[in-house]
Amino acid sequence: MTPAPTVPLVCYQVLAAILFTIGVVGVLVRRSALIIFMSIELMLNAVNLSFVAFSRQHASMDGHIFVFFVMAVAAAEVAVGLAILVAIFRNRDTANVDDVRLLRG
Amino acid sequence: MLIPAFLFAMFAGIAIGCSLGVIFHRNPVHCALLLVGVLLSVSGLFILLNASFLAALQVLVYAGAIMVLFLFVLMLLNLKGENPLLTRGAAKGFGILFAIVVFVELLWTVLSPQMEGGMAASPTVPTGFGSPAAIGRVLYTVWLYPFEITSILLLIAVIGAVVLAKRKFG
Amino acid sequence: MDTAFLIESAIKVHIVLGFVLLVVPYIVWMERKVLGHMQDRIGPERVGPFGLLQTIADGIKLFMKEDLVPAQADKVVFIIAPGITVVTALIAATVIPWGDTVELFGRTVALHVADVNVALLFVLATTSMGVYGIVLGGWASNSKYSLLGGLRSSAQMISYELAQGISLVSVVLLAGTLSLAEIGRQQAHLWYVVPQFFGFLIYVISGVAETNRAPFDLPEAETELVAGFHTEYSSMKWAFYFLGEYANMMVVAGVAITVFLGGWQGPVLPPVVWFLVKLTAFLFFFIWLRATFPRLRYDQLMAFGWKVLLPAAILNLVVTAVVVALW
Repeated sequence: MTPAPTVPLVCYQVLAAILFTIGVVGVLVRRSALIIFMSIELMLNAVNLSFVAFSRQHASMDGHIFVFFVMAVAAAEVAVGLAILVAIFRNRDTANVDDVRLLRG
Repeated sequence: MLIPAFLFAMFAGIAIGCSLGVIFHRNPVHCALLLVGVLLSVSGLFILLNASFLAALQVLVYAGAIMVLFLFVLMLLNLKGENPLLTRGAAKGFGILFAIVVFVELLWTVLSPQMEGGMAASPTVPTGFGSPAAIGRVLYTVWLYPFEITSILLLIAVIGAVVLAKRKFG
Repeated sequence: MDTAFLIESAIKVHIVLGFVLLVVPYIVWMERKVLGHMQDRIGPERVGPFGLLQTIADGIKLFMKEDLVPAQADKVVFIIAPGITVVTALIAATVIPWGDTVELFGRTVALHVADVNVALLFVLATTSMGVYGIVLGGWASNSKYSLLGGLRSSAQMISYELAQGISLVSVVLLAGTLSLAEIGRQQAHLWYVVPQFFGFLIYVISGVAETNRAPFDLPEAETELVAGFHTEYSSMKWAFYFLGEYANMMVVAGVAITVFLGGWQGPVLPPVVWFLVKLTAFLFFFIWLRATFPRLRYDQLMAFGWKVLLPAAILNLVVTAVVVALW
């Protein structure tokens, strides 16, 4: 039996909540598309941490599997998202989300 | 007791400090490097939670591949920091208010009595928890369909990225 | 976490650190001598007997050189980048076993610094972090040659990481464990190079490409692109990149030896001596490659990595998996 974690698992959940909130602030407040992407990655990591902490609490591997899939999907999302960003940048020469507003009324 | 608590405090401090740096720095390359710092400290926290395979995977995939992709795009596009740094006016205020609401909600859920009881007692787990063998045993039996669908998703992502970033010929 | 364990780990860390940092000058000496003799000349022979003190003299010279930081360069990243290369190589070197266990002062001491049960994955993860040293060095120099060289070099490294990882996974299928010490112990009777010969070839070729050594060293050779990502680096920072490259070579050689060539196993001599003999032979092989082959052009290099090596590695993995499943 591996020994119990000596830091109570609720600390990991609070840390995940803090990181998630910082990510939300980043998405809502910054204007560069790349930084918004990075804040989304920050949120995904906070969720991963929460999953692993819960998985540890219930001694179940399902949390780990979820994290595995989150990482795979995040990789796919980053690849496609950055390709879109590069395409937009080639057309408009800006990566600022406030400038890409042609669909707006 | 002392060393795991110290390690947790160190990794948590680095994660929070680097994430604040990510959202408040002007130079995007510095933001990317600070995000790598966050990823590495989260990897350390995974090791503290007996998730050794995921910790190695986090460094290998997230910090070693996804962030390198970010850096490539940053360097190819030669993006400088935006001016002014944050969104103007009311949107910024609303954004921060919303974030505070989300934070309070999350804390409420995490620290509520039903959760608290379960989480204060930290159970022991079998040896081999979080090892590649344990993940493999579950991944290829119970979670086989999501696994196969994820591989198709990754193929779609590869094709999509190549098609989107191609320059037109002629 | 008792103090005896901490002292033991500290001593092992010092041994590995000291070994890597002190042996790299002698790998440089060996390279210059061996290249020299293969090219029908002598190599360094004046400074010290057989030129043994040449690298130390070069080190002192480099130490005294002017330490330039280009104008408009990103100072913090410029200074950190060579450090990342060296640090990741040294971290990867901590899990490579240089022998089995020894009995000292009543304790069983395993001869690797860290006993990680996912050691192979750990090595792959830290070598993939080594890409940052190069891409950041190229970018932070604020120079066209450096940026192009850095991007080319790092694209090469991440391309060959795939073939490297997949060839190692084939051995993991046979061994049933990711722990390097365990893989070394399992080769007491048969080295894994015999059933996995093609995997070994793929690993060696991608290892040479990973460390940016000839014939895959277009991004950093002096005759191309000025000097690639380390164009603007002088003095000790350049020496650090050099040190990092040789430390990386030692890590790649160490992993190849442990996974394919039997680790520390051998008939008569003590295990550590066998490890050192195999390491020297591998490094000699790296130098021999440099003397023999012409450099690959960048598009040939990338085409080879993606169109030849990666499918070969995957084919190797599939065949191994089928054989393991049937028997």
